[in-house]
Amino acid sequence: MRYLLFISCLFIFLSCTSLYKGLQKNSTDISCLQKFVPSFSSALYNAHIDVAGKHLSGLLIIKKMPDSSTRMVFSSETGFTFFDFEFSKEGNFKVYSIIKQMDKKPVIKTLRKDFELVLMQHLQNKKTYTLTDKTQMYIAFPQTKGYYYYITDFLCEQLIEMERASKSKVVVEAIMQNYKNGMPDTIGISHKNFNFDIGLKRIER
Amino acid sequence: MRKQFFLLMLSICCVAVQAQYTGYSPLTDFSKFKEQFSLASQKTTSIKSDFVQEKNLSMLSEKIISKGKFWFKKDNLVRMEYVQPFQYLMIINKNNVFIKDGQKENKVSTTSNKLFQQINKITVDCVQGTALSNTDFSYKVFDNEKTFLVELTPTAKNLKAYFKTINIVVDKKDYSVIKIDMRELSGDNTVINFINKELNTPIADALFAIH
Repeated sequence: MRYLLFISCLFIFLSCTSLYKGLQKNSTDISCLQKFVPSFSSALYNAHIDVAGKHLSGLLIIKKMPDSSTRMVFSSETGFTFFDFEFSKEGNFKVYSIIKQMDKKPVIKTLRKDFELVLMQHLQNKKTYTLTDKTQMYIAFPQTKGYYYYITDFLCEQLIEMERASKSKVVVEAIMQNYKNGMPDTIGISHKNFNFDIGLKRIER
Repeated sequence: MRKQFFLLMLSICCVAVQAQYTGYSPLTDFSKFKEQFSLASQKTTSIKSDFVQEKNLSMLSEKIISKGKFWFKKDNLVRMEYVQPFQYLMIINKNNVFIKDGQKENKVSTTSNKLFQQINKITVDCVQGTALSNTDFSYKVFDNEKTFLVELTPTAKNLKAYFKTINIVVDKKDYSVIKIDMRELSGDNTVINFINKELNTPIADALFAIH
């Protein structure tokens, strides 16, 4: 019993421990992240979404508009539109359309946050700081709730991973790989607390 | 006075309708069209065709163009295979739908998914010529020298939420479908053009097999 209590306390203690607590905090220049910011002039992706055991595929078009906002339209291969979102440069978000089956606050909020992590539009945040260990650099952007982390190699030459996290644990892991003309060829978004993955593969047109 | 006003309104409405589709005028007697259309579709046992699909995103000034092959065989067998610029296969075999999207294979029973059933029924109804008796839509018919234009307006609530109209362009020569234009409420639309059509050529059942 005592042992169980100890384990429970240890578990509670560990879960309350701040994420990356052991890392060195320093004031490295974060401008090196700019080169990883994707410039979606106009890109078409084959999208695969797995959610709660169900699989959905379609086409996602991401386009930078003349007013610097980014528009994202997801449709089926046969042309049926699932959603149409706008992310403004200032961090605002607008839903132009969404099908009834997806029109739920938590769904929209999750998609918004996931894509914001990938679009990297919040890099102007002044409260940013950097954590380092021997091999990697964790560039943190504190949000009202939680953090966005961009993890690079020590020299900030390669973007290894992106994370959305609470104080104590990682909520979402994402990757962007094989940039061509400023646009990643592969994008992957994976949720840690529930079964929800998004895979995007660029289609050459 | 009231009669004059009514006539004036009627003529405005007629002009508005005519202006809706350039070059087309409304067909007053569409019982003959309906008869001919169903007669021709009764004679059509199979269709083999290439297709070009164009999704227009009006606000984004973008087009997504895809190409593929289409097969239809009576009754209710459809194979639609997108080959460019992505791979996507959809087979409708009676009440079952098989989908292969490059990563996964999926079998869906349309009887368990009403919206899917209705959307797929549109394609089947359009090529099978039974669109005019589908109670999910009301319809109007227009014509020009070479084609008919059938405007389907959804009456079913769940379809109303997605489509403004679905327009089918039918060849006057053989009453076969040339084009399907699905117009969304947002102003975006998807046009499927059927080209290199072959009617009534033998098609193996194996093409529609769902394993």
